[in-house]
Amino acid sequence: MKFTIQREQLMESVQHVMKAISSRTTIPILTGMKLEATAEGVKLTGSDSDISIESFIPAEEDGIVYVEGIEPGSIVLQAKYFPDIVRKLPQSTVDIESDNRLNITIQSGSAEFHLNGQDAEEYPQLPQVHTDNSFELPIDLLKSLVRQTVFAVSSSETRPILTGVKVQLDEGELSFTATDSHRLASRKLKLENGNDQTSFSSVVIPGKSLTELNKILADTEDNIEISVTDNQVLFRTKHLFFLSRLLEGNYPETSRLIPEQSKTVVTMGAKELLNSVDRASLLARENRNNVVRLVTKEGREIEITGNSPEVGNVVEEVEADSVDGEDLKISFSAKYMMDALKAVDHDQVKVEFTGAMRPFLIRPIDDDQILQLILPVRTY
Amino acid sequence: MQTWTELKEIQPLAGQMLVNSFKKNRISHAYLFQGPEGTGKREASILFTKGLFCEQLDGAEPCHQCRNCIRIDSGNHPDVHWIEPDGQSIKKEQILHLQKEFTYTGMESNQKVYVVVDADKMTTNASNRLLKFLEEPTQQTTAMLLTENGQALLNTIRSRCQLLAFQPLPPHRLQQKLSSEGVSESNARLLSALTNDLTEALDMNKDEWFANARKLVIQLIEVLQSKPNEVLLFVNHQWMPHFKERDQMQQGLDLLVLWFQDLINQFVGREEEVVFVQEREKREQASMQWSRQTATDQLSHILEAKRKINQNVHPTLVMEQLTLYLKR
Repeated sequence: MKFTIQREQLMESVQHVMKAISSRTTIPILTGMKLEATAEGVKLTGSDSDISIESFIPAEEDGIVYVEGIEPGSIVLQAKYFPDIVRKLPQSTVDIESDNRLNITIQSGSAEFHLNGQDAEEYPQLPQVHTDNSFELPIDLLKSLVRQTVFAVSSSETRPILTGVKVQLDEGELSFTATDSHRLASRKLKLENGNDQTSFSSVVIPGKSLTELNKILADTEDNIEISVTDNQVLFRTKHLFFLSRLLEGNYPETSRLIPEQSKTVVTMGAKELLNSVDRASLLARENRNNVVRLVTKEGREIEITGNSPEVGNVVEEVEADSVDGEDLKISFSAKYMMDALKAVDHDQVKVEFTGAMRPFLIRPIDDDQILQLILPVRTY
Repeated sequence: MQTWTELKEIQPLAGQMLVNSFKKNRISHAYLFQGPEGTGKREASILFTKGLFCEQLDGAEPCHQCRNCIRIDSGNHPDVHWIEPDGQSIKKEQILHLQKEFTYTGMESNQKVYVVVDADKMTTNASNRLLKFLEEPTQQTTAMLLTENGQALLNTIRSRCQLLAFQPLPPHRLQQKLSSEGVSESNARLLSALTNDLTEALDMNKDEWFANARKLVIQLIEVLQSKPNEVLLFVNHQWMPHFKERDQMQQGLDLLVLWFQDLINQFVGREEEVVFVQEREKREQASMQWSRQTATDQLSHILEAKRKINQNVHPTLVMEQLTLYLKR
């Protein structure tokens, strides 16, 4: 393998790929980074076995040549030293060459590094992409889908399946669902390019992988292609491939959890509600569960209280836009409520209660695609 | 041991059973390989894993050349997990990691294999965690637990695995091999009684430390017989400085076990089984002093001492207590 590459481009790719590489891995080869040169360009791969990131540097793009003198081949080199080497090289071009004894020579200007590599055959084979099982989505939309659901995944390993987000595509409708069995976040989306043929029964993507993906993707309106294979999911932008393993097992059926009717409906500004719950939780935080209490009053007033016997209490009356239905006293976790309100991301929200002991829903007023469900807390 | 045929030479029964489970496509979700050191447990587990992943499987025989086989050898296969004791025991965290690994889908295929080496060294916490997914195996997951002491595992774990006993190699086989490598007959006997592994035996034969260890054991017996009051001095001045590490101590106690075993063999008239062939005179002397019953008791005290060493009891205290028992 041999090629000459622009250092800037290489550095950028290396930084992307390094995000997937962890030094604490049980499989020795994964401490390395795979370099693969083909006539089209150079591909870098890093993986910690849960997620894998591939970054592609095309030989030529828009008339600008990035990689020259390519002799195809592949090698795995030590990821611990490679990024620093690339960063500190003196010239703007880098020559990389490997021989058949797995020695790598990195040369730039007068500096020359010799590294010991590993056989690329030893590196895990990432699944081939089946393009027939894929769909496209603007990146910023995907990011908001993830942001609105991923916070609700379970952090405890007792039910591993709940640490993931269920993703389902059915008749052109994409849905993301996450729950930790105390709250549920769900977001649906009608795919615009109307490709009704693509559908896959639900896959569960680990929450950690999605959080990582959100960090890596830049906020642009470019499209990202999502493909699902048997055991991995692939997110593909122009030059960056992000793969994640899936969670195994059956995701619990969540549609039955969502109440059909409601007894009390409150509509109000999301921001006002969020701020007042936030204030109430200041004192409630000392309390074990961070519980606040919501009581409907005369007219359109609702009272939000936080109480912590050792510290004191806080009472606040806020005016809702409308309160319909039965009177209600309900307690819930302030943290869950705040997370949900932040995720809803609309000015006006509708909160639908079905009694003090039943889960309640938070939705934007004019959008039924976003849904947040919270279980109340029993207080005496 | 590269092929099943070679494995079957030393483990006819276990080897055949594993091959059959391939041929008849009846692969169990968990196996427990139990047998003394050097009986081919690890080799069998590697062969079996290769059998599950190899791309060019010929019957049950893996090719050893495809990507998967090569990566299983080098420990780089992403869907094969080796759990080995981290220090003295297999910790809960290691099993937790494994547990997490198995809630994910496979990296390349959906076939997953985990091998727990020295499974008896799992802490109670770790065992109970492991039990959880032995009970509810996910699809296409194969577990192999390797142990030298199957009895030390939880019953609940044993009952969920297919047990495969790896027979100890017949000592005379190794003995012959050692003799053909130029080891003296008396040494060959002793070494083959201590280990099943040819290379380990040859290493021990060259090791000066081992020769001295052997001498010390004989001396200890002498002191016990002739000057029982000085035995504590002997332990402190000679024995302890030589057997510094825990595994060295274990080896010393193993030698002691062999010597008392010889004594019992002599009582029951099985002279041909005797290991310390050259120490006939001392043994006869000992048989005057100690009855068969005493020798048996002493053996169980030594085994008890071995157990204590494993449990991190201070070695000097163990040794002192042991010698006090022995000189009674």
